Amino acid sequence: MYRVYFENFRQKVALTEEEQELIQAHLMTRKIRKKLYILREKDICKFVVFVEKGLLKSYSTGENGAEHIIQFAPENQFILDIYSFLTGEQATYNIQAVEDSELIIISKSSHETLLKKSHKYETFVRILVTDAYIELQQRLNANISLHPDELYIAFMHKYAHIAQRVPQHMIASYLGLAPETLSRIRRKIAGRNS
Amino acid sequence: MRTKQHIAIIGATGSMGSAISKSLCRGNYRLLLCGQDTKKTEKLLAEIRRDYHNADVTIAPCIKEASWEAEIIILAVPCCTEKEIAERIRKVVNQKIIISLTNPVHKDLKSMVTDVNSSATEALQQLLPYAKVIKAFCTTFAADFETPVIDGNRFDAFIAGNDTEALENVSELISCSGFNPVIVGDLSASQTLERMQFLLIQLDLKMIMAEKQAGKSYIINS
Ligand SMILES: NC(=O)c1ccc[n+]([C@@H]2O[C@H](COP(=O)([O-])OP(=O)(O)OC[C@H]3O[C@@H](n4cnc5c(N)ncnc54)[C@H](OP(=O)(O)O)[C@@H]3O)[C@@H](O)[C@H]2O)c1
Repeated sequence: MYRVYFENFRQKVALTEEEQELIQAHLMTRKIRKKLYILREKDICKFVVFVEKGLLKSYSTGENGAEHIIQFAPENQFILDIYSFLTGEQATYNIQAVEDSELIIISKSSHETLLKKSHKYETFVRILVTDAYIELQQRLNANISLHPDELYIAFMHKYAHIAQRVPQHMIASYLGLAPETLSRIRRKIAGRNS
Repeated sequence: MRTKQHIAIIGATGSMGSAISKSLCRGNYRLLLCGQDTKKTEKLLAEIRRDYHNADVTIAPCIKEASWEAEIIILAVPCCTEKEIAERIRKVVNQKIIISLTNPVHKDLKSMVTDVNSSATEALQQLLPYAKVIKAFCTTFAADFETPVIDGNRFDAFIAGNDTEALENVSELISCSGFNPVIVGDLSASQTLERMQFLLIQLDLKMIMAEKQAGKSYIINS
């Protein structure tokens, strides 16, 4: 129920049993069925989600209702609308289960209490934020410098485990490509490899 | 709020459980019904689907699974079973809202099972220290759900609890069910609410007795 979360924690910051107990008391565990939402845009994101098992995605919607996938969160990943979480403004993301999933939910009030109560938690969060920042820079770099073919190859290289679990149209949406463009790229690469 | 909240109703097949389930179908909720008897639970589900076309409702495989999936858990069960149920759901309810409706009254309705200066709801909170236990609906009779508005006034439904956000959340839920939510205080106020309901039950019994003895007319005082 909390295993993956605390394994992740301990890889970054050492924890005693008592410290784990204190933190665990503030974490909510939830199951969610495939296709259901944990957050809809225009609500306020008052929590951080950690995926213990399963797969979630976040997306924003374009003017024509098109889905722009921002992030896939498989097990051992965090997902939230950080803008809404930090400012208290309306969320611009939707967060939806792609598979039946098991989650840890850390509410904003629990998060704030833990930041005050647990030095270890504070350190853990600082490391998470730093890692997320690096990830963001890499994604930004890739998006502005890589050709769509290279973007797809880089995605398949980095996220092969996710690619097997989601339909092609979701990968296209994540890469900012039209589904037809992605099919063309896939055919091209398959031709090159055969 | 656009995101649906998931609510588990434990004891959904009972008088209170079924009335609450039906009243919440109109709201933006996904309901997970838990009953002990599959046939009764399926009958309730069929009734809800027949009467409320937009209801998002399903039968939960068991109490623990329902409580794991939900963020709000309504315990619409007899007081004497709360301890056993609390033990079954303890691991999956950290930080979740648990609504207790219980009236801790002996089966003969003549006395209360709780001691002075204590309440069934505070005892439940002790069993589930990391959950947000809220007392609600205990002074509402199951029959009231049929007509929560009389002469244009909504019935008051009293709420007690320690967590401000949880109290707000439960207030919304109570408004959705048709009643007027009134926050009366922290969880210790549930002592008063439980005794208040005990008194109401005594008055009800008196009325019934009087009705029996004197045809339709009866006197409540003395
Ligand atoms: N009735 C009222 O007007 C009223 C008003 C305010 C508060 N309350 C309080 O609300 C609660 C429910 O009252 P009620 O009148 O609705 O009772 P009820 O009609 O007897 O319903 C009780 C429900 O709990 C289930 N249940 C019984 N034992 C259980 C166990 N060990 N594990 C799991 N589920 C169990 C029952 O399942 P089965 O159907 O399979 O037996 C049923 O669904 C009580 O605490 C009562 O004090 C009642």
